[in-house]
Amino acid sequence: MTALKLTNVNKSFGPVHVLKDINLTVEEGEFVVFVGPSGCGKSTLLRVIAGLVDASSGTIEIGGDVVNTVPPAKRGIAMVFQSYALYPHLTVKDNMGLGLKQEGRAKSIVEDRVAKASKMLDLDRYLSRRPAELSGGQRQRVAIGRAIVRDPKLFLFDEPLSNLDAALRMNTRVEIAALHRTLSASMIYVTHDQIEAMTLADKIVVLRDGRIEQVGSPMELYNNPANRFVAGFLGSPSMNFLQSSVPGLAPGQTIGIRPEHLTLSEGGQINGKVTHVERLGGDTNLLVVTDADETLTVRLFGQDQTNVGAAIRLAFDPAHAFYFNDAEERVYQNAA
Amino acid sequence: MTSPTKAGIRWHIVVFLAPAVLVYTAVMIYPLFATLRLSFYSEVDQNRLWVGLQNFRTLFGDAIWSEQFWNALANNAWFFLIHMLVQNPIGIALAAILSSPRLRFSAFYRSAIFIPTILSFVIVGFAWKLILSPIWGIAPGLLDAIGLKFLYQPWLGKEEYALTTLSLVSVWQYVGIPMMLIYAALLSIPDDILEAGECDGITGMAAFWKIKLPLILPSIGIISILTFVANFNAFDLIYAAQGALAGPDFSTDILGTFMYRTFFGFQLQLGDPHMGSTIASAMFVIILIGVCLYLFGIQRRLRNYQF
Repeated sequence: MTALKLTNVNKSFGPVHVLKDINLTVEEGEFVVFVGPSGCGKSTLLRVIAGLVDASSGTIEIGGDVVNTVPPAKRGIAMVFQSYALYPHLTVKDNMGLGLKQEGRAKSIVEDRVAKASKMLDLDRYLSRRPAELSGGQRQRVAIGRAIVRDPKLFLFDEPLSNLDAALRMNTRVEIAALHRTLSASMIYVTHDQIEAMTLADKIVVLRDGRIEQVGSPMELYNNPANRFVAGFLGSPSMNFLQSSVPGLAPGQTIGIRPEHLTLSEGGQINGKVTHVERLGGDTNLLVVTDADETLTVRLFGQDQTNVGAAIRLAFDPAHAFYFNDAEERVYQNAA
Repeated sequence: MTSPTKAGIRWHIVVFLAPAVLVYTAVMIYPLFATLRLSFYSEVDQNRLWVGLQNFRTLFGDAIWSEQFWNALANNAWFFLIHMLVQNPIGIALAAILSSPRLRFSAFYRSAIFIPTILSFVIVGFAWKLILSPIWGIAPGLLDAIGLKFLYQPWLGKEEYALTTLSLVSVWQYVGIPMMLIYAALLSIPDDILEAGECDGITGMAAFWKIKLPLILPSIGIISILTFVANFNAFDLIYAAQGALAGPDFSTDILGTFMYRTFFGFQLQLGDPHMGSTIASAMFVIILIGVCLYLFGIQRRLRNYQF
């Protein structure tokens, strides 16, 4: 069964066309990540799915039912907001239980579900506290708990980690992945962070300017990007795009080489000078300006002794290079 | 060398505090204590005489004085009650309606409802006196036009209606203030929380009662105490509409008009600054007790939420 099916969904705010003909299917139990730069429409798309914003045209099906005119609470979704959006006047327990109470569920069912969710999220000790008495990470877990309690067909996460500090973000990311395995529920997750997208997703949807650029598993998108935008967006440090430093390219053509696919080599085709070195222990990143005055990043595994100012030659395996035409589309035949 | 913390008087603190302290002392603290002091004196044969608590004994013990005082206090309590039961709920309701994103012309309504607040009480009092007048007023004519003439009463002229009528005129004038304060409080509730409520099925009236109202309770508390202080200090509207005798037969007499009449005199009554100060001191104590009860009894239990 499909958890979500979008058909030709469009959304305009006045003259501004935010979502353009979105077609997408999310399978039952799938973890789908919407990723893209800010302003690409990913949050709007999530809000259209949630029903907080009405689509201008197109149909939205959740669990096989068309829900275009169904209010958010009856769509079988639960949403986790970036700002947590907890009710400040209610305790953790009431925050999680309010939705069920509003539906008129029996008190014992509400208690049961809250107890189960709080146990899963390790919130038992905080049930009688108010959000103001919790840390950011705990608030985030309460927000997730509030979603779990509703037992939705589809979880919606709107940049849930962006208000957390780096260490906590990593932990929570792992927790969300574990949660997805435990609940085996369908989840949609919006982020602008490509690392979250790569690590969490079964399927990544890359958006730009209200259009879907490419859909696929993380490794598909990494190994086989459909265009220059997707190639540059996924992977960290991001892909190098060169036009004049590599000989043999057709006019207007760009070659894309990932930083990890460049190696220092006496016989390399690219000549350049190191302008900056980042030593991360496990990796060393070199920022290089080529003789043709293009900048690129080289990722060397392990610790490297190259210093700033060194003249270096770089080699790459053509099998790992991507070629793009001047419309930024991928081309598969090498001009050389 | 002494360390900076033991350097004696830290003059910069004194210098920076001085302007505020001096101004506040000159216009607030000195007059307050001068009034309190005046209430312990009396004037006999043009000599000022220390009489201790005698003025207070007169105010609460003398049959004529105490009847006037309790009448004014009871009227004042009714005046306050009408504001709490009519002005503040209407103000909250108007704010809730105004904050609805679907309402058109909300800026116009907001201004229209707020404008009476900036009018002078003299204009408001006099205008309403004219409107409600049985002789030249437009109220009888308007009621006649919709067939409700039989409801008309000379509201300002009847003992049983006059105080309530004036309270409602005051409500009409000042309803914009609670409306604006609540409106601001409602706007400060993040959209995310309301959207989370929407996902939980809490919309419309339920969203108001279960989410918005608890979050604006601190503002409602502030409005209540402001209303209390303003009402027990009120004087202007009654004076503009009914004069210092607060007729008919003192039925609209509140502490402010009672104090004014006593202090400065009115018509045949001679002014008595000492009894006037005594009433002013009593008003001060009443308001002080009310504010303390509120601050220590209620305000501490209201939580302020940070979003």
